[in-house]
Amino acid sequence: MTTVAESPVITLRIAGLKEKILSSGSTICTERARIYTEVYREHEDTPVILKRAYALERTLKEMTIFIDDGELIVGNQSSALRAAPIFPEYVTAWIIKELDEFDKRPGDAFFVAEEQKKELRELCLYWEGKTLIERGYSLMSPLNREIHDAGIIRAEGNLTSGDAHIAVNLEKILAIGLQGYLYEIEMAETKLQEADGEYISKSNFYTALKTGIRSFQSFIERYERLASDLSFHAPGPERKSELVKISACCRNIKNNPPSGFYEALQLTWFVQLVLQIESNGHSVSLGRMDQYLLKFYQEDKAAGTITTDFALELLENTWLKLLSVNKIRSWSHTRFSAGGPLYQNVTIGGQTTDGRDAVNELSFLILDSVGRMKLTQPNLSVRFHKNISPEFLGCCIDVIGKGFGMPAFNNDEIVIPSLIGLGVAKEDAYNYSAIGCIEIAVPGKWGYRCTGMSFLNFMRVFLAAMNNGHDTMSGKTFFPGTGQFEDFAGFGELMSAWKQQVSLYTKASVEIDTAADLAIEELVPDILCSAFVDDCISRGKTIKEGGSVYDFISGLQVGIANLGNSMAAIKKLVFEENRISRAELMKYLRNNFEGQEGERIRQILLNFAPKYGNDDDYVDQLLVEAYMCYIDELEKYHTTRFGRGPVGCAYYAGTSSISSNVPSGSVVPATPDGRKAFTPVAEGCSPTSGTDTLGPTAVFKSVSKLPTGLILGGVLLNQKLSPSSLSNETQKQKLISILRTFFASLKGWHVQYNIVSRETLLDAKKNPENHRDLVVRVAGYSAFFTTLSPDTQDDIIARTEQSL
Amino acid sequence: MLTVFNIQRFCLHDGGGVRTNIFFKGCPLRCLWCNNPESIDPFPSILFDSRLCLKFGDCIRNSGGLIRPDGDSLVIDRENITCFDALRDICPSKAMTVAGEKMSINSIISEIEKDLPFYEMSGGGVTLSGGEPFAQNGELIELLAELKKRNIHTAVETSLHVPWENIDRCLGLVDVFLADLKHTDPEKFAFFTGGNAGLVIENFRNLDAGGAEFAVRVPVIPDFNFSEPELRSIIDFASGLKNSGEIHFIPFHSLAKEKYLFLGKDYVFGSARNVEKSELAPYVQYAELKGLTAKIMN
Repeated sequence: MTTVAESPVITLRIAGLKEKILSSGSTICTERARIYTEVYREHEDTPVILKRAYALERTLKEMTIFIDDGELIVGNQSSALRAAPIFPEYVTAWIIKELDEFDKRPGDAFFVAEEQKKELRELCLYWEGKTLIERGYSLMSPLNREIHDAGIIRAEGNLTSGDAHIAVNLEKILAIGLQGYLYEIEMAETKLQEADGEYISKSNFYTALKTGIRSFQSFIERYERLASDLSFHAPGPERKSELVKISACCRNIKNNPPSGFYEALQLTWFVQLVLQIESNGHSVSLGRMDQYLLKFYQEDKAAGTITTDFALELLENTWLKLLSVNKIRSWSHTRFSAGGPLYQNVTIGGQTTDGRDAVNELSFLILDSVGRMKLTQPNLSVRFHKNISPEFLGCCIDVIGKGFGMPAFNNDEIVIPSLIGLGVAKEDAYNYSAIGCIEIAVPGKWGYRCTGMSFLNFMRVFLAAMNNGHDTMSGKTFFPGTGQFEDFAGFGELMSAWKQQVSLYTKASVEIDTAADLAIEELVPDILCSAFVDDCISRGKTIKEGGSVYDFISGLQVGIANLGNSMAAIKKLVFEENRISRAELMKYLRNNFEGQEGERIRQILLNFAPKYGNDDDYVDQLLVEAYMCYIDELEKYHTTRFGRGPVGCAYYAGTSSISSNVPSGSVVPATPDGRKAFTPVAEGCSPTSGTDTLGPTAVFKSVSKLPTGLILGGVLLNQKLSPSSLSNETQKQKLISILRTFFASLKGWHVQYNIVSRETLLDAKKNPENHRDLVVRVAGYSAFFTTLSPDTQDDIIARTEQSL
Repeated sequence: MLTVFNIQRFCLHDGGGVRTNIFFKGCPLRCLWCNNPESIDPFPSILFDSRLCLKFGDCIRNSGGLIRPDGDSLVIDRENITCFDALRDICPSKAMTVAGEKMSINSIISEIEKDLPFYEMSGGGVTLSGGEPFAQNGELIELLAELKKRNIHTAVETSLHVPWENIDRCLGLVDVFLADLKHTDPEKFAFFTGGNAGLVIENFRNLDAGGAEFAVRVPVIPDFNFSEPELRSIIDFASGLKNSGEIHFIPFHSLAKEKYLFLGKDYVFGSARNVEKSELAPYVQYAELKGLTAKIMN
């Protein structure tokens, strides 16, 4: 089945485009900000949904567009390659505050021209008091605001970015075309009754949708004309015919379903692009590309109108397009998302809705093209299942061996039954795709943020539980506790204290999410994104109002391994062995293990208590018990869409906490697992760096003991392998065999690999100029190593390296 | 109870698939190049890694005067220390550790069973290693019987330098023997290992006659057996056995140097050169010519 490219390397065209984008520094673009400000000013009294439709319309009409030399897939996010647009309706405060610092950041720097700064300062004046973040904060209770600002629960990313974390219904878009959507909206509109209480809002919604779709069509038409104009001045007949073809492609897909693979891919990219222009969400994902594009590819193949090499070139050009999308975040938010990731996920493999292996020739082509490009985008996920093609799995390992962290694996064997258990229809459950990093949803039917709600800093909560509810970092007691650790008679009292504190903070996290959701619903509804998610059109509602078929969300819990390790250290060393006294432990946690005696205590905590990641039930089961305190509490709550249409409207747990382990750790004092104050906590569900000493099978065992069926927001496991681990066929087969065991027998949820030697990483930190294209797995996504801040670089270097 | 100094999961080189290696303490031989010097004594051994020492003094206080500070390091009276259990978990930073502890069959089995799903998928199992597993007491047979009962594949790495009855009674319980043939010359064997080559040779013949599945393992050691006539003689012997299928060459490396330092032992092979895999190519060729399947191990 393998479709092998005739040429093993990328074409000169793709190499040139790649070089151009890699050598383009990040800048910003003020066009969108200018247009949105103008339109909002002109339509102060217009309902927000229409205001946003008009702003989108004018942006798509007036923004600079260009077609670069050699491009086959066209469409740009802003006025220049890698120029991040500004979304002033979300937030302006940090822009003004950090404007002069953008180019001086230790990681993810942006260059801004002086005239742009001047313009932005002027534009921002209009937005004062009107932005999403201000509304979101104002909706939080004073207590929750304090908890948020203290860094125990962080929801900044929810109020400074579009929602996203979604895949729209590309299968349907490709099937009915944009004109098909217009008809569908018009049909729905005819069913409205004027006397209906929701008439006005629904009618406005439909007007907005139609405006949105039409302006999307005009946007495509602009490329049709541009390509045509450029074709008259093309440098040669070959480029001329390419431009003519681009123009014809745009002419067709602006209205009709695409005909052929090229058009289907171009429309897919246009959809992705307008979603990025409309809102500034991250994790706008492409769903199961090898499934919805297959028909087009096979038809072309049968007709003899496409070669494998050309299909590869088109895919590779598309990946470069994905990489061209850029986003500027505040510095504090950047630290949670180091490396400027957009998390545009592409999922391949898995099963068909009737349970057969869904791997097809396009799966191989997508895998191959991503492997040849070695970029940070797309974020490639493979759905594993027990009957997956061995040949395909082998190819996946080969790509992993290239060392850029992809593909990551999600496991059908645990995800599908869990989704069905939540009430997801079987055919939808079998059609899930990864979203963003590792989280999962049913493309085109699921609301925003299957993960990506607020971050809950578990270890701050744990320390509060030890301190009678007092948070030593802020000096405040947000929730009175059950007592002081020094007075706890047994370990049971500590577990009860944790349960009490984490329940209260869980409730607070839901309240904070609710404030964010309400603000987003009111101030920044998405138009095109709602149009492309079922059943928004028939319900006459945006996604945020309850338009989607399914709605389950999750926040991110940070410090999983530290929680288990801290529990185990206290239980064993304090309560069972009396090796450390309660007072002693508290003293040295407070003073960060000061002095020789403090270090002695720390070494005992590190070396004489079981550590998560070593398949030791003692600690693993404590972690499960502690985590379940959170999960049990979480099940009590609903989202703002509850009772408004979608199935679910509930929460599950999630650990896809991206690079937040570094900044989250930076606000946590010393912890009983022997971790020093303000150093990173463990990332995702991975063991604490350096403590998983028994090899990968033990790590897999520990991780699979977690209640993974309840952590559908993602069970993030990073493993680092030495490059020699995949040096020959036998080694490769061994890795495949342990992966199969992890997924098929142990029902593991996810794993991703970094295969870069420590020496390479150290050298890249020292000599970034030699490693501009070095891509590493951060946590749920890959990033260019040299764009990361030194803290995050160190965190990646420190991860335990397993060898096979 | 059996004396174990290490249980290593996810071993990929000693027998097929993913394996758990159980390292038993105590060995009848004293090979000068030994890679596991902590395995030799049947009683516990103290290892001290001065790089990890943070000078907390716990070991000094609990040694009954047998451990004393000496500038930046420690003087350890290894000859006279018997309070191993008092010292075992005493060092907070694990600069000092004690290798070797008594383990029950059940606790060994429960460690082994942790990776069962991985053995099943990969065709792996357990490898008993050492030290010399067959130098353990009679409980070894019970462990093997328990493993057999559980259908777990067993391999035993052995020097064969034990009375034949120790092996004989385990014959039906071991799926594959990984048996060392270090040298065929009795004098050289005796000088470098302190043992009797005749015993090993005889046990190889017994093993062969008993119809057991085995692979011949050859540590390739400079100045000991790394010469054409010596390796050829070993290969010739191996190929003369009717049931031997595989021969494994294990090239010498001096990675054990630090362990000797931790044990306070001299290592005469500390500065010996490593044997490169590429140097073994002619012997692989020769062995295959003689009808053996040859592998070079990592």
